[in-house]
Amino acid sequence: MLFQDLLNNDSKIILFDGAMGSEVIKHGLEPGKVPDILNVEKPEIISEIHKLYYDAGSDMCQTNTFGSTPMNLRRHNLENRIKEIIEKALENIKIACPSGRLIVGDIGPTSEFRPPVGNASGEDWYASFSTQANLLEDGVDLWHIETISDLEEMLAAIHAVRDISKKPIIASITYKRTKRGFFTIMGDSLEKCIQTLENEKVDVIGSNCTLGSGDMLILVKEAVELTKIPLSIKPNAGQPRIKGDKTLYDQPIEEFVNDIHEMINLGVKIVGGCCGTSPKTIDQIHKLIDSL
Amino acid sequence: MTSESIYKEMGQAIIDLDEEKAINLANKAINEKMDLLEVIEKGYADGIRQVGELWEEGEFFLPELMRGAQIMQNCLDLIIPNLQSGTERKSRGKVVIATIEGDIHSIGKTIVATMLRAYGFEVYDLGADVSPRKIIDVALEKDADIIGVSALLTTTMFGQKKVVDLLKERNLESKFKVILGGAPVSSTWVKECKADGFAENAVEAVKLVKSLLGN
Repeated sequence: MLFQDLLNNDSKIILFDGAMGSEVIKHGLEPGKVPDILNVEKPEIISEIHKLYYDAGSDMCQTNTFGSTPMNLRRHNLENRIKEIIEKALENIKIACPSGRLIVGDIGPTSEFRPPVGNASGEDWYASFSTQANLLEDGVDLWHIETISDLEEMLAAIHAVRDISKKPIIASITYKRTKRGFFTIMGDSLEKCIQTLENEKVDVIGSNCTLGSGDMLILVKEAVELTKIPLSIKPNAGQPRIKGDKTLYDQPIEEFVNDIHEMINLGVKIVGGCCGTSPKTIDQIHKLIDSL
Repeated sequence: MTSESIYKEMGQAIIDLDEEKAINLANKAINEKMDLLEVIEKGYADGIRQVGELWEEGEFFLPELMRGAQIMQNCLDLIIPNLQSGTERKSRGKVVIATIEGDIHSIGKTIVATMLRAYGFEVYDLGADVSPRKIIDVALEKDADIIGVSALLTTTMFGQKKVVDLLKERNLESKFKVILGGAPVSSTWVKECKADGFAENAVEAVKLVKSLLGN
């Protein structure tokens, strides 16, 4: 099945996956370790998490490659292992992906900022995303560029992917809620981001992370007024709380799913979850979608 | 032009992120032998305070906040060597700051360090991935007032608690105030760690440090 067919099917709500990071923590990821190395060190855990999401009803899941760019891996002294990490990531998801479902190439931020906040340049970003996209291209059906907090970094990622691949792109930005509305931490408004992504002719405009489902619902109400391009939304399951040595997300799943329901009613095409969501969350959203 | 109106221009240059003007005014103040302490406090420091307020209002974002603090710092670097001995700007206090062991995310911590410096604190930034032992050793060596520990990841924030625990183990808990920062940190976590406070952003961090040191 092609992603475009799902996208063009008006009655279809596309179910994405939930969190990878908070799931691998449940499996005992060591503090500070980049989850991407688990593709190599604990492939069975990564495959199992993908499988749980597909089993819960995800139409598509994303590769465990959020941090697999040279810029990110360099900070963990893993840059020279990027090929191995991405190849294993593709293997791990392929094993888990049932026929008829899709594999999404996940591209996260480089975590390096442009001046005056950091020292990264557009060329640095472009080169880093190019390397990642090149290694992923053959194994994925579409792309999710996500959790990006700088529109310029998003543009570098889109251009890098476009120069390598003809596959569809979901471009998801992460926003914070301010007194004046939704902005990236670099100061780009929701409106400016949506306008820019429309001009780039991405296939889907998205938002993920930072915001819990309640705030994300408010963002969606604004976003649907700003664009006719399909929307993808992956909110966090509220805010994390630490208890003893465990990280807890207390938001009841029903509340999260109710917010997702409202987003679907507003016209959101692709729904899933970010930090703190689990296969259980996706299972509940699946039941909701089936009941519509 | 009165001193007061020059101070106002200095503050405005920081708010406008106009480095050239801010530097020119600093040189002018030095050449005209103005009271440089007043120049810092009533001019530039007032500007950076307003930058902080604009950040809180959602008018300014990370680039403006960082740029404002950097311009302020460049002006201070010019002015401070010209302060007459005995009239040095009194440090508001010493802060040792680091991102905890296992965590390589340094951007938030760097912004907090930059803002604290701009507000007149003496800041020792140890960088990222720093062990609790090293943080405490430097705090002792520098005779710090405050230890700031940052963690972005829910997996590494346990290291923040280790700093407090290790201080207790070494009977040093009354010597320093420990403050925490980072996206997953909450007041509940501060309580659980028995730390002295947390801040959600750099501007809040400055307020927190000021209130902990009673200035």
